[in-house]
Formats: sequence, C-alpha cells, structure tokens
Amino acid sequence: MKNFILLFVLAFSVCWSSQAFAKVNVFACAPEWGALAEEIGGDNVSITVATAASQDVHFVRAKPSLLTAMRKADLVFCSGASLEQGWLPLLVRKAGDRDVQQESIGWLMASDYVEKLDVMANADRSQGHVHPEGNPHVHLDPRNIDIIAEMLAERLLLIDRENMAVYQSNLARFKEKWANLSQKWVGDTSSLKGKQVVVYHNAWSYLLNWLGMDVIATLEPKPGVPPTAAHLEAVLARVDNASVQAILVAPYEDGDAAQWLSDKTSIPVVQLPFTVGGDAKATNLEMLFEQTITKLKGA
Amino acid sequence: MSKKLLLAAVSVAALNVSPAFAASDEELKLLRAEIAKMQATYEAKINELEGKLEAIETRQSTANTMQANTVAVTSVQPSARPATAQRPINNSSFNPEIGVILQGQYQSFSNDSGEFAGFAIGEEGERGEEGLGIDETELNFSASVDNLFRASSTVALHEHEGDLEVELEEAYVETLALPYGMQAKAGRFFSELGYLNSHHAHSDDFADRPLPNRAFLDSNYNDDGVQISMILPTDLYTEIGAGAFRGSDFPGGGAEGSDIGAWTAYGRVGGDIGNNTSWRIGASTLQANDVSREANEDTVTFEGDSDLYILDGRAVIAPTGNSAEQEIILQGEYFYRDENGTYEDTDFGTGVVDYDDAQSGWYAQTVYKFLPKWRVGARYAQLYAGDTPAGLAGSALDSEGHDPWSGTAMIDWTNSEFSRARLQYNHEELADGQNDNQIMLQYIMSIGAHGAHAF
Repeated sequence: MKNFILLFVLAFSVCWSSQAFAKVNVFACAPEWGALAEEIGGDNVSITVATAASQDVHFVRAKPSLLTAMRKADLVFCSGASLEQGWLPLLVRKAGDRDVQQESIGWLMASDYVEKLDVMANADRSQGHVHPEGNPHVHLDPRNIDIIAEMLAERLLLIDRENMAVYQSNLARFKEKWANLSQKWVGDTSSLKGKQVVVYHNAWSYLLNWLGMDVIATLEPKPGVPPTAAHLEAVLARVDNASVQAILVAPYEDGDAAQWLSDKTSIPVVQLPFTVGGDAKATNLEMLFEQTITKLKGA
Repeated sequence: MSKKLLLAAVSVAALNVSPAFAASDEELKLLRAEIAKMQATYEAKINELEGKLEAIETRQSTANTMQANTVAVTSVQPSARPATAQRPINNSSFNPEIGVILQGQYQSFSNDSGEFAGFAIGEEGERGEEGLGIDETELNFSASVDNLFRASSTVALHEHEGDLEVELEEAYVETLALPYGMQAKAGRFFSELGYLNSHHAHSDDFADRPLPNRAFLDSNYNDDGVQISMILPTDLYTEIGAGAFRGSDFPGGGAEGSDIGAWTAYGRVGGDIGNNTSWRIGASTLQANDVSREANEDTVTFEGDSDLYILDGRAVIAPTGNSAEQEIILQGEYFYRDENGTYEDTDFGTGVVDYDDAQSGWYAQTVYKFLPKWRVGARYAQLYAGDTPAGLAGSALDSEGHDPWSGTAMIDWTNSEFSRARLQYNHEELADGQNDNQIMLQYIMSIGAHGAHAF
C-alpha cells in the first residue's frame, strides 16, 4: 500500500516535471530488433531499422541516413557482441549524444543479456571473422526473445516514464503470447530433434540449440571467409553418407556453394528468413519463427 | 528486506556507472521496485511454464541438449537485473586500442620526370619512389579518455630519399557527448575538406591520391587546430562545420605569431535513394592567410593568401541490396584555388613576382565490386594551371599551355576487411610530352584494433 501511494506520487511528479515527450526514437540495428521494439513500444516509439533482411549486418556502411537517425536516437537497440563493430561505434561517436553512449540507459545490446553460445577463450583473426564474446546471432531462440523483450521494456519505461503503464501492458501481452507460441513451437518441432544440418555460416547456432539439432558441417571454411573448392570437397566427403536434413542459408548469403553441395548429395537447400522480412511471409517475429519452422520441417 | 537492499544497491550501482542518467536516487529505486513487482507476477507464470517445458523435455529428452536448455531457461528467471551492469566494453581489451597498418609496394615509372607543369608541389604530393619498398607504416592508438572525450593519435613512419621520417599524422581529442548533434575536435587531424582529405590513405580506393589532392592539399591537409561540427536535426542528413588552424601545413606554411593562419568551413547533405543507394554531396573551403610556403623541393616560394574551394560528391550503390556481394562507388571532387601574393622560383632565378590568379582541377572515379573479394576501378584526373605572369615565364609555374592529366585503372583483391592487395596502372601527362606509364602493385594490411571507416 505504501508502495502504491509512493508510486502514485511519483507518477504525478513525473507527469508534471517532464515536458510533453515526443515518441521515443529507437535505432534498431536489424529488422528483428525493430520488430521487437514495435511489439513493446507500440505507438509510443518511432523506429529506424538500420539494415534490411537482404544485408549482412556484419558489413554495412556508416551511411549518411544512419547518422541522421543516430543523431535523434533515444535508444540504440542492437545485437552487440561486436556484430556491428564495423559501423555502429562510428555512428555513435559521430552523431550520438550522451543518451546513447555505451553504459547508458539508451544503449541496449541484446547479446549482453542472454547465455551466449560459441564463446571463445582465445581468438585470433586467422580463425576468420570470429566474435570472442560469443555468437552474436542471438535472436533465433524464442527464449532469448523473451528475455530481451523484458530488457527492452525496462529501458523504454526508464526513458519514457510517462508511458510506463503502456510498456508494461505491452510487455505483459507480448510475454503471454510468446509463452503460448513457444510452447506450441516446442511441440511442433519435436520431430526435428537430433537431426543434422549443414549451414553456410554459424548464424543458426541459437536456433539449432533450441531445436536440439546439430551442425555437421559449415560451408564457410572459417567464419566470414567465403567457401573454397577444397573446403567444399571436404564437406562433401563428410556429409556423403550421413543423414542430413538440410543445407541452411540466409537471404544475404551466396547460395551457389549450397546449391553445388545439394546437387552432389540431393540434400535440399533451405533458405530460411533469418530475420523479419527475410521472406514474404515473415512479417513479424511470430511469423519469422513460424516460417522458419515450416521451412525446416518441409525439408 | 534483503531484496530491497539489493534493489537499492543496484540503483546506486546503475547511477554510478551511468552519470548520464542522473535521475534522483529515490525515483529510480521506486521504478526498480515496480519492475521487480511486475516481474514477480510473471515469476509464477514462468515457473509454471518452466515446469511444462521440463515435462515436455523429459518426455523427449536427449541428455546433452537438455542441459543447454536448462541453462537458458533458468536465465529467464526474473531477477532485479541492473540495467547497465555486467557488460563487457567492446573492443577495449587493450586500452588504448592499438592498430598497425602495414603497406608495401612495387612501383615502376616509364618517365624520369614527375614534374607538374604550372604547379609547385609539396613533398607529399610528389609521385612515390620506384622499385620495391614499404610505403607508410601507420601506428594508431585510440581510446575513450573518459565519458566525455576520445583521443586518437596516428604516427606514420616512411622513408624519403633514404631517411626514415616520422610524421605525426594525427593527434587529437574529440568530444563524445555534446548535445544537438555537435562534436568538437582539437589537436592535429585530417580536416573535413572535400571527401578524401579526412580519410587515411590506406582506405583509399586507389594506390595514389588523385592529382588535385596532390597539387592543392599536398595529399592531405592535417594542420593543428580546432574543428566543430554539427549534424542538423533534419530528415535529410545535413552536417555543417568550421575549423581554425595554425596554418603551418600545405597549402599554408611559415605560420608564426599568435594569428590564426587558416580557416575551414564545410557543409554537406546526404541520404538514401531507395534501399540500395546512398549519396552525399558537399562544399568546403580552406582559407590560408599570410602564407609563406616552399614547394618543388624548396625551390619555389609562395607568399600571400591562398584560398581553396572544393565541391565533392559520392554515391554508393548495392545492385543486389547486399553491399557485401556487389557494390558500385561513384566519387568526384572539384577544386578551385585562388592565390594572391608573390611567387619566386630560385631554380630559374625569377625573383619575386606578383601573382594573382586561380588554378583548378577535378577528378572522377568509379569502383565496382563484382565479386565479394574483387573490385575494379577507373579514375580520370585533370588540372588547369591558369595563366602565367610574364615574370614567371619558363619557370616551374609556366605550364606552357599544357594542363596536367592522368588516367588510371586498378583491380584489387580484399581477402577480409583487414587485408587488400592491388594492381594499378596510371598514364600521366603532367607536362607537355612528358608521358609517364606507371605500374603500382601494393598491399595494405591491418593488425590490432581497426575502427570502421566513414561512409
């Protein structure tokens, strides 16, 4: 009760003290984070999504329009784990004000809050484009989305306290929906458990970990290094007699190597959407997972 | 009770690490409490869910994946997670970040002379040395100083005529958290002038700088001074800025006393066309006053005022929407230099001759990435020497009616963002009949921390 009164007073003082707050400007590095910000922020946020599903988020230019978006950003919402290392720090340095510097409320890196896979004790660039902090592609595990949604709601309500109640109820609604969906998906995908796949890049670690699937081979000889003929031959030898469900590629990845392997082995190439907008039907987070599961099971 | 204490501690911790968010202690504590309450409501639900999940998982368990799942699910358990704790600071495992750029090359020129007709060229603007050699080795140290400042220094080592030269290319501090899209920079740095000047040579798309940058900026203008810039709150990217400098770097020179020797100002706009094309255009000026500068290996002296105006444009197109796959870069700059003062060419014994004239130049280039690792490029550059005062006839400043030009073709291979090898062919005719066919083979490697390059 005491808490309640305090809160009431606080809510009032906040309303009185802050000037009318415009929409919270969210700078989302990738479509999946833009989609999540839309779920939790609703009409109270204005979202700029820095990259499209057709782009590899590792390699993006710090282009002028992104500087403009960064200049007005109240919240920078990205994967982190140095996925955006090639362009995000530059944008923040050049255009970010103190609200969105590292260690501030306006700096939310999703991978900081989930259990990371593929963490490397020792990393050297001869191992390719590696992320010693762990695999940054954290969004394809619904359990991670759930955690990150909470973190996002917390940041939004700290930035825009006037609309605290809205973010809370959006989060509650999303979490309930997500819990039901996750449960359904676990049931839907039981047949995939233990199946093996070939991947182009280790972009699917979280998805496969969630589904209990295994990677038997990677088309890239090293992360970020395009497939070579010698490496593909080695992959071919490895998968030849194994039972492999599919060869997974993302929309921004070159499908030639996957097709070559498929022609040799008759393992189907499956292009998963990878992120929101990655195929025509994956228009939001729910449909991203639905499409991913449908395509995986269809393989 | 202990939970409250914990929350209080967490709030204090959050405040400590985040001075930017200086809301009152009390408010934050309350918010935290509210969040915790909110989370507690879900705790029950999540526990229930967890139970269900576990039940399902036990039914179809495979022992090893089970373990991984449990770890992840447990981390869902809501706790009063501090908003800004437990996060590694990216790319600062070394403080400061240290980066080294190594460059090496083989160059061959068919003509003995690389003189520019009608222009007096600084040391960095001259063509390089023939044969095998290492080009500049750059050592960069940079780091955030604290929450408000970042500092960077770049030392370039290179050999010039057998002597090892150490050049302090950049040594500056910049602000990190000025409001209204503003940023201030102080120290020595590559000024915002046109497109190429603010970029380090190792990020260029060709092995050498285009003719106008060599003639008018001695490849790079990096003077000591201050610069302030501001990104305007417009939907179209708009940036303006200005700087004040000592005036000791080419085209300035001989700066002494307390005067501001050179001023700069620039403005640029940019944006996207559709999803696949980005562009920027800009205008800038460098006004150097009371210059006393020596060029052409100290044989030509200019004294007076030197005003330079530059227009620049650049567009980057990703035909497939994925720039990692294919990319086209179009880029060009136009230079106009108006000088008022005196020239003297001691080699020709011209004496001090009054000079009031303008010279200009431009380049246009395109680079096409046709495969993820391969790019080809072409460039054309042209200079216009302008009229020669009678007193300078026959000297280095007499172009004899010839306007220097050069045509370039290049192909490069980029194994990763840290390594590149390049083959380039130039045909230059910098003076009448002085045809020079140049072959350049180079590598550029980067080790250690290496920040992103600007658009």
